[in-house]
Amino acid sequence: MAVNVVTVDRNQKAGVVPILKGHWVTLQNFWRSLFLRQASTIQYPEQKRPVSSRYRGIHVLTEREDGTPKCVACYMCATVCPAECIYIESGERPEKAIEKYPTRFEIDLLRCVYCGFCVDACPEEAIIMSRENDLVGTTRAELVIDRDRLMARGKLVEHGAGYRPVDHDVRRPVRLKALERLKSEHGIVPGMPAAKTPRA
Amino acid sequence: MASTTTAAPPELLAKPAARVLSEALGDRILALSDFRGDLAITVERSAWLEAARLLRDHAELDYKLFLDLCGVDHLDRPGHAERFEVVLHVYSVSHKHHIRLKTYVPESRPSLPTLIGIWRGANWFEREAWDLYGIVFEGHPNLSRLLTHDDFVGHPMRKDYPTARRHLLKVPKELLLEVPEGNEHLLINIGPSHPAMHGTFRAQVLLDGETITDAEAEIGYMHRNFEKMAEERTYWQIIPYTDRLNYCSSFMNGHGWALAVEKLLGVPAPPRAEGIRVILSEFSRIMDHLIAVSTNVVDLGAITPYFVMFRAREDIYELLEACCGARLTVSYVRIGGLSQDVPDDFEARCRKAIAGVRDVWQQGNDLLTRNLIFQKRFKDVGVMAKDEALSWGWVGPCLRGSGVAYDVRKDHPYSGYESYDFDVPVGTTGDCFDRYLVRMEEIQQSLRIIEQALAKLPQGPVITDDRNVALPPKSEVYSNIESLMNHFKLVYDGILPPQGEVYGYTEGANGELGFYVVSDGSKHPWRVKVRPPCYNIYQAFPHMIKGTMIADAVAIIGGLNVIAGELDR
Amino acid sequence: MPKCTIDGRQIEVAPGTTVLQAALDHGIHIQHFCWHPDLPVDGNCRTCMIEVEKMPKLQIACNTVIAEGMVVQTKSPKATEAQRTALEFLLVNHPIDCPVCDQAGECYLQDNYMRYGLYDSKIELEEKVHKRKVVDLGPIMLDAERCVLCSRCLRFEDVVTGTNSLQFVNRGDHTQIATFDGGKIEHDYAGNLADVCPVGALLSKDFRFKMRVWFLKQHESVCPGCSTGCNVFVDERDGEVQRLRPRRNAEVNKSWLCDPGRALYKQIGVTERVSGARVRGAGGWEGVSVAAALDRVAAALKDAGAASAFVATPQATNEDVFAFKALAETVGGKLDFRVGDPQLKLTQRIDEVLQRADRNPNTQGCLDQGIGKDGVDAIVSACRAGSLRALVLQGPELLRIPELVDAIAKVPFVAVMATHEGPELDRATVVLPAAMWAEVAGTFTNYQRRVQRLSAAVPPPGDAQPRLELAAGLLSRLGKPLATATARDVFALLAKATPGYAGLDYRAISGLGAALAPAGGADSMASGEARA
Repeated sequence: MAVNVVTVDRNQKAGVVPILKGHWVTLQNFWRSLFLRQASTIQYPEQKRPVSSRYRGIHVLTEREDGTPKCVACYMCATVCPAECIYIESGERPEKAIEKYPTRFEIDLLRCVYCGFCVDACPEEAIIMSRENDLVGTTRAELVIDRDRLMARGKLVEHGAGYRPVDHDVRRPVRLKALERLKSEHGIVPGMPAAKTPRA
Repeated sequence: MASTTTAAPPELLAKPAARVLSEALGDRILALSDFRGDLAITVERSAWLEAARLLRDHAELDYKLFLDLCGVDHLDRPGHAERFEVVLHVYSVSHKHHIRLKTYVPESRPSLPTLIGIWRGANWFEREAWDLYGIVFEGHPNLSRLLTHDDFVGHPMRKDYPTARRHLLKVPKELLLEVPEGNEHLLINIGPSHPAMHGTFRAQVLLDGETITDAEAEIGYMHRNFEKMAEERTYWQIIPYTDRLNYCSSFMNGHGWALAVEKLLGVPAPPRAEGIRVILSEFSRIMDHLIAVSTNVVDLGAITPYFVMFRAREDIYELLEACCGARLTVSYVRIGGLSQDVPDDFEARCRKAIAGVRDVWQQGNDLLTRNLIFQKRFKDVGVMAKDEALSWGWVGPCLRGSGVAYDVRKDHPYSGYESYDFDVPVGTTGDCFDRYLVRMEEIQQSLRIIEQALAKLPQGPVITDDRNVALPPKSEVYSNIESLMNHFKLVYDGILPPQGEVYGYTEGANGELGFYVVSDGSKHPWRVKVRPPCYNIYQAFPHMIKGTMIADAVAIIGGLNVIAGELDR
Repeated sequence: MPKCTIDGRQIEVAPGTTVLQAALDHGIHIQHFCWHPDLPVDGNCRTCMIEVEKMPKLQIACNTVIAEGMVVQTKSPKATEAQRTALEFLLVNHPIDCPVCDQAGECYLQDNYMRYGLYDSKIELEEKVHKRKVVDLGPIMLDAERCVLCSRCLRFEDVVTGTNSLQFVNRGDHTQIATFDGGKIEHDYAGNLADVCPVGALLSKDFRFKMRVWFLKQHESVCPGCSTGCNVFVDERDGEVQRLRPRRNAEVNKSWLCDPGRALYKQIGVTERVSGARVRGAGGWEGVSVAAALDRVAAALKDAGAASAFVATPQATNEDVFAFKALAETVGGKLDFRVGDPQLKLTQRIDEVLQRADRNPNTQGCLDQGIGKDGVDAIVSACRAGSLRALVLQGPELLRIPELVDAIAKVPFVAVMATHEGPELDRATVVLPAAMWAEVAGTFTNYQRRVQRLSAAVPPPGDAQPRLELAAGLLSRLGKPLATATARDVFALLAKATPGYAGLDYRAISGLGAALAPAGGADSMASGEARA
């Protein structure tokens, strides 16, 4: 049949000694947990397990320099969301360079599966996810969050930013040369302005 | 591509199954195809049984392993002879070959003879095809609801059944078995809410003292009809759904799905992505085996190994979370690769997890393998013979425990598995002890693979540069119109595969996890059928436990590692 | 009929057909921007370059007439490179507006980039030329940066409306489209400018930022605004209509739709719709089930017998009208539909493009079924004389005429099928909720005697039902039920019963409709189809 096939060894003799060995394993764990403080458990909520900078927690709408949302209500996130939990209504912004903004932006956190596709789909880096993961509500309506809650910065500062766009850094050679030329000859570095959201 | 026997190219006809069947059936073969390397033969309805028998029994063919049988609804699609199609997938271990056999059944009389007499595993699959499509299988002993409940009306996978319709179940089914008169027997439920049932599935047993005289299983408690949802989602949007199949080794489902779609597209993932996928899949396999072993023995009263072995899972979850932001619902794969590269401390985290697994493996081994009580509870309990296992469609550690050395990673390598050195453990007796030993040894082998993959991991991109498949990098999307348009089209239009169908398969933790994907060229797949390894395995369970004692039934069920998310989909 | 080969396929075409036209008609897609089936060829975008055997240079498919034996390659390396570079030039100064541009989802640049482009950009954002953005032209918004200078809008203004509102100004890569002195578009066909524009340069102000088009589901129907019967798509999401778009029919409206017609979608929603039946009693109006209301109406009709009158409406479909006529014949009352004499305005144009004076979609259909029988004047006189005991109105038109209020008040029982609320409904005794054109399957017959199909795009609100079903409900209560109640089957019945309609069924009239011989000979078709 296939190469590298090994037959498992059934003839592992049982007896009293292995049982004692098992006790020894348990005693070691006991010692480690109690005296060396190496237990796997932690005292939540006083201690919390740290999560990585890519954690997919509750969403955050990023802001421009003037504090308004970066979001231009392009509906990419609502389109890609597998759970269909994003609801957006759009309106006109007077600034011609911006044109559009969300008059309503709601996410049903109960439907959301925290997959992060909305962040992947956003062409403006307008939505990211934070590291906020302790979500509590007493009614369903409470857990449908609106634009103001998404713009609020309290939880973001408390928990830190999580899943957000990361450049794949596979810029094509033609563009790299063009970028170098722009920088050296004109002092221009193209790209989006730096966000003011705190990054951990 | 697809052609009748007269028009088929000679290389296609030379394949053994094509040759044998066309010699036997002549013009009752309606189509032959080897799209993307999958041999698929469509026969006339009258030839269904005969073709199936030939596939199993002909010496050159020997397709003894039953994989999958499903229905497809081609409502209003041109180019199909009838509305319904029944699709069979079987495998030959001796010839290492998959084959697809299909036939059409008309809407006016959607029936076919049952294949139960040829492969035992066909039982639940035909029942499911009846439940979801309304296709009748003549001669089937029990064509009743399987995944939907008894008050359900209609056949939900039909294209004209509205997805959002609901049916309320007022009174659940109490009796699955016929209870004889008198006080001699005791009828008890094991599950669906039972600590010994590792998931929401049910078995009902009739006891004479401690011995089980009759048993029946009921599933569907976790049926969310993933396959219907898949028909209304793009290939990208289906990825989070795959995490919820076998949720103990969630990354592997996504890996399998991405490979199936990449096969359909003919677009491979780059080597670095495949290397990372292998590492994370093997870690997921380890997680699943740790659960399987430790929860199995919890039911026997051995709770310590559970506490010990789960510690290693924490390291692996932290590794996954560092890569993609979630522990279980990872959604890390993308069609064509991965969503982003691994973090800088990836290797360090992997090494920590490897060390953690080694430690708990040793502890678990010390606690269990030579323990007298453990051996007495496991040895010679729940024996599944080789031939029966193949007929049921057993795969994975359960099949290998019965002595069949079939591992997709070795026999049909994918994602670069051919370049790694590892062994495939097999058992000899097919009892619970063998399955336990196989799983324990597989954990060790997975660690070997991970270490090799880490050493060989190449630099490079983690997603294909095929612009019809992968989102352009964000730096491009922000700065030029072409990439922005590309991004938009991929989000609202999605990947548009060619018309056709593939069966993509990988070695999941429970065995061959398959995705049969039918594409009509649009952004939604026309049909997705998950080939769930533990479905075939659990199907055999009621038969295995008849005549055993109830305590043995508990020992057996844990070792089968049935995961409700994969079982019911 | 010259024969040619395109991409290896043998194709036979009518003389004078261009390569582009032939290819598109046979399912071979060739990139194009400036070409439009209903506008003169311009050949300025150069994106439809194809290779023709024996011609050394690449040709534009839109202006190369097929010659016998011509062999065309649309996907050869030379052709695909030319198509790609032409597209690249169109995108050189294109702004990164997709997130805020409504054209996304139906944008030629997006679609063609995926099929013919897929190249790396060589242009930096900072190098792009800037032009005017968010320019208000009235019903249309202009964004000059997005414009690819295909001149479709210029040609539309020139040959279709004859208004020449838009022109190119400046030159080189600063060329833009503009109106004179920033003026607004002031004709009734501005919506078509947004339709012809292949990109997001000209966009509808009414639809601005409302909905992304990929969420919309389209349904084929016919505009009810006038007797022209322009073919439309009804675009809806989750049962709410978001807009109407023209559906190309070379015999009726070409690719055009007038702005008043487009605006009709606003009437479809739920507000101000009659969504439940009501009956006027001593204490005022009482809401009842449709079944109960139909019981009342049937009782009144049984009582009235021949002392009744039935006024159909040319807003209703042929199927509605057929059932209504059967009702009138069963009861034995008078029958007509010509409130306001729509038949006199049937073919009269009110402009040179599409609109006609008769603001009803199915006057011709009513005429064909012989609904103009006893005369509205006769019915009104009978009302005045007090000789009518029941009056059944398929639409509220009669109730809206102030001079007739006193006449109608003399009829003890007035039942009206209505779609929208209005003070005139207070003059009735029973109000039955009727479904609108976009909520029913059915047919209209336009001024050319073309029978065209409607399909239901959204469900009717509340208890509203198609007029066909309301009449069928009355007929069954009167003991003379219709053999069937689906629109498709009723049409089969009416095709047998109506002169000129024999042999028609839904399959025959699917898509672009079926033209019948003109009722009074060719002369009755006064003005032919849409201009240009």
